[in-house]
Amino acid sequence: MTAQIEMRDIQKHYGSFHALKGISLTIDKGSFVALVGPSGCGKSTLLRSIAGLETITSGTLQIAGKTMTGVPPRHRDIAMVFQSYALYPHMTVEENLTYSLRLHGVGKADARQKAAEVAATTGLTSLLGRYPRQLSGGQRQRVAMGRAIIRNPKAFLFDEPLSNLDASLRVQMRKEIRALHDRLGATSVYVTHDQIEAMTMADWVVVMRDGLIEQQGRPLDLYDKPVNRFVAGFIGSPAMNFLPGHIAETGNAVMLADGAGTLPLDRGLQPGREVIVGVRPEHLDVVGDAATFHLEIGVVESTGSATYLTSPDGNFQLVQSERTSLASGDRIGLRIDPTKIHLFDPQSGIAL
Amino acid sequence: MTRTYTPWILLTVALALAAVYLFPLYWMYVTSLKTGSEMFANPPTFWPNNANFGIYPEVWARRAMPTYLWNSVLIAGGVTAITVVLGTGCAYVLARYRNHWIDVGLFFVLMLQVLPASVMITPLFVGFNQVGLLNYPRTAVVLAAAAKAMPFFVVLVRATFMSVPRELEEAALVDGNSRVGAFFFIVLPLARNGILVCAILTFMSAFGEYIYSKSIIQSPSLQPASVGLSGFLGPNSTDWSSIMAYSAIYVTPILVAFVILQRRIVSGLTSGALK
Amino acid sequence: MSRFFSGLRDGVGFDILLVGAALLFLLALAGAPLVYNVLMSFQQVDMFTLGALFRPFVGVDNYVAVVQQPEFWLVTRNTLVFVFGSMAGQFVLGFALALFFAQNFPGASTIRGLFLVSWVMPGLVVGGIWSFILAGDYGVLNVILKALGIIDANVFWKSDPNFSIWAVIIANIWLGLAFNMLLLSVGLAAISRDLYEAAELDGANAFQRFWTITMPMMRPTIGAVLSLGLIGTLQQFDLFPALTEGGPANTSNVAGYWSWQLSFQLYDFAKGATVSVMMFLLVLVASVVYVRSTRHEVRG
Repeated sequence: MTAQIEMRDIQKHYGSFHALKGISLTIDKGSFVALVGPSGCGKSTLLRSIAGLETITSGTLQIAGKTMTGVPPRHRDIAMVFQSYALYPHMTVEENLTYSLRLHGVGKADARQKAAEVAATTGLTSLLGRYPRQLSGGQRQRVAMGRAIIRNPKAFLFDEPLSNLDASLRVQMRKEIRALHDRLGATSVYVTHDQIEAMTMADWVVVMRDGLIEQQGRPLDLYDKPVNRFVAGFIGSPAMNFLPGHIAETGNAVMLADGAGTLPLDRGLQPGREVIVGVRPEHLDVVGDAATFHLEIGVVESTGSATYLTSPDGNFQLVQSERTSLASGDRIGLRIDPTKIHLFDPQSGIAL
Repeated sequence: MTRTYTPWILLTVALALAAVYLFPLYWMYVTSLKTGSEMFANPPTFWPNNANFGIYPEVWARRAMPTYLWNSVLIAGGVTAITVVLGTGCAYVLARYRNHWIDVGLFFVLMLQVLPASVMITPLFVGFNQVGLLNYPRTAVVLAAAAKAMPFFVVLVRATFMSVPRELEEAALVDGNSRVGAFFFIVLPLARNGILVCAILTFMSAFGEYIYSKSIIQSPSLQPASVGLSGFLGPNSTDWSSIMAYSAIYVTPILVAFVILQRRIVSGLTSGALK
Repeated sequence: MSRFFSGLRDGVGFDILLVGAALLFLLALAGAPLVYNVLMSFQQVDMFTLGALFRPFVGVDNYVAVVQQPEFWLVTRNTLVFVFGSMAGQFVLGFALALFFAQNFPGASTIRGLFLVSWVMPGLVVGGIWSFILAGDYGVLNVILKALGIIDANVFWKSDPNFSIWAVIIANIWLGLAFNMLLLSVGLAAISRDLYEAAELDGANAFQRFWTITMPMMRPTIGAVLSLGLIGTLQQFDLFPALTEGGPANTSNVAGYWSWQLSFQLYDFAKGATVSVMMFLLVLVASVVYVRSTRHEVRG
């Protein structure tokens, strides 16, 4: 694998606001990388810096081995799909698709030929003569995609491209974008605040917060081995539960605070140490006698395929794939596989 | 029962209010057609007894209106050209960014918007005299009036540019345009209507410009129609049919343009005037 | 050098060029004259020194002379009467019309738009038309007022010292009324219908709805409209030469017109500049109010 985009210690200041605090990231050629994090974490700024729409304050950015300092967007050979699609309202679909080709001096006939090909792959053939305002949200999304792929660029940049679509269309477009990526074999950088999109679409997920990379890795590695409490809470839905506790005298179990119970561990730690226990809602089993801790149920919600049980204070949730006759006020016994328990330092939040 | 009539009663009242408000315009046209004694008749006639349409060609020729109107068109055209060329770019930059420098620039423009022409004319006249611009009086008036018109134009057009999504320009940059190209081929076409409306408004107000022309242009062959009108209009005017015929010839093109473009002008004003 | 040109095409140089050209133009033709005006108000400027680069300084003599002019206080009083009379008339009538046209009936926005023709009319023409309407012997306003029984004898609007300033005010109200109405209509349209319906459900009658919903919600708009009205009125010039030329005996003269008369009829440019500096201070107060009231929208 060769690096297509290479970032080293990128800093970005907006006046007194420090948006990117030293980002170093290597994006391999042909990979699909998701930048994910809460709003304001700097993921969009980073993407726009790659595009050249923002000027980075310091650090180096290379695309295909060339340093991009001072290179305007038009000389970077990258394509971008915007959140609002940014289709030119005064141009037809065909003109939108071929605009970049025309700017790069491609002949009219060639451009039309290319547009027809792209329209066929994105299902836009019958819409080429229309204006953006005559299209539905999903169709606009496809035009935005088509406009990016027609150029065969060094990299695709996506800035939350699905956030304006309704839920079912979003799931469908997720698959289409990924299929397109696989077919074109292009490098893609995808910004989203939705960790499910990141997990399902990307080969490599970069979790950001406050202008810093918290963790990067393959999607399931982030799920299985989050390096800190922030990543653990951000990846996975419903979110991981966090319970305070301390290590028992034996060193291989956690005593939960308020005497809620004891969780056996598969590793040894210093006895008496304060910890935060992280357990994912889907890793808890409701058991009768073999329970290691107990919980009172506050709310029972069922979607048909799954049942969500929430504690009265709302801080603890678990998911059952079977239907249940449990009701609010019931007290249940729970058990968890010791290998699925995450432990975090209460102060730093770092995984232990 | 009464409810269904209410809109029509309101419409009638609205038409009556409009009639009262627009009465001065009606009076201008009616008076222009009246002859000598009928004009001063008491009570006045609200419809001319024998309309004298001959007054129009007569005033047109006697008052040398072609020269005056041509000068008005030249001056208004010059003012509009300078205002649009310089003001559009300024409005675009003031709309695109948000920082301290832009705030300072906006404040400067807003402050200039409020300067009365009567405050500016004395220093402009003396200054133009010193740099020799008074030898080119129409150019001097164009420059002065353009400086007067530009702040308002910038404030209105800025609102138009604010409504053009910034992402479109960024998409154009990524697609391979330079800043210059993106501005001319993406942003300007999308803001075209708003700019056009503001340019028309600028032209209309420059077409009626009076104080600078009156103060700076001495030669009647270079004066605009407003100064030509002032030549026989004052507290003791009596030749009312000529004044009204002159006025009617002068403003009818503006009124027609306004009525045709009314909807666009009103929406252009309402989007920008309060910002 | 090539860096300079690439900055013009791709970087911030393009923005600086666009904004710089306009600001330099405005600086040269509006900013500099303003400063020059203040300078002249401290100099001796007459027909002999008009073309000179360096003129003798006279300190505050011009200001003293202007204040000692017999008409100074009359003009000051007239300016205030003109400004507040015009503003009050434009605002009250404009607000009433805006409220009326906010009712839902066919053609409301089109008819309202027609009112705006007054705004694109040349001021001099408007002054001419009103000059005829307000004429004492044969003016149609007197005829209408007499027919309505409001007055018994003809009012000599333009030549009676008690009414001359009001003649200009009436014409100015007509001129500015439509613009006031339009801006207030925009403000009214921005108030959500839901608020009125909620207030009605809460038991508020029409009068209470006006005072508890309309007025508080309109406060920013009203602030902007009043300050724009103040600025527009201070800018008014064309009506004076068309209607009264400031007379009789300066009873309808205001600062702006007086300044012009001093400079261009008496060729006393120093005094003209001095009066316009004084007037500029008044405008400055108005513009601070205006900028403050639009600051919110400006920063958006």
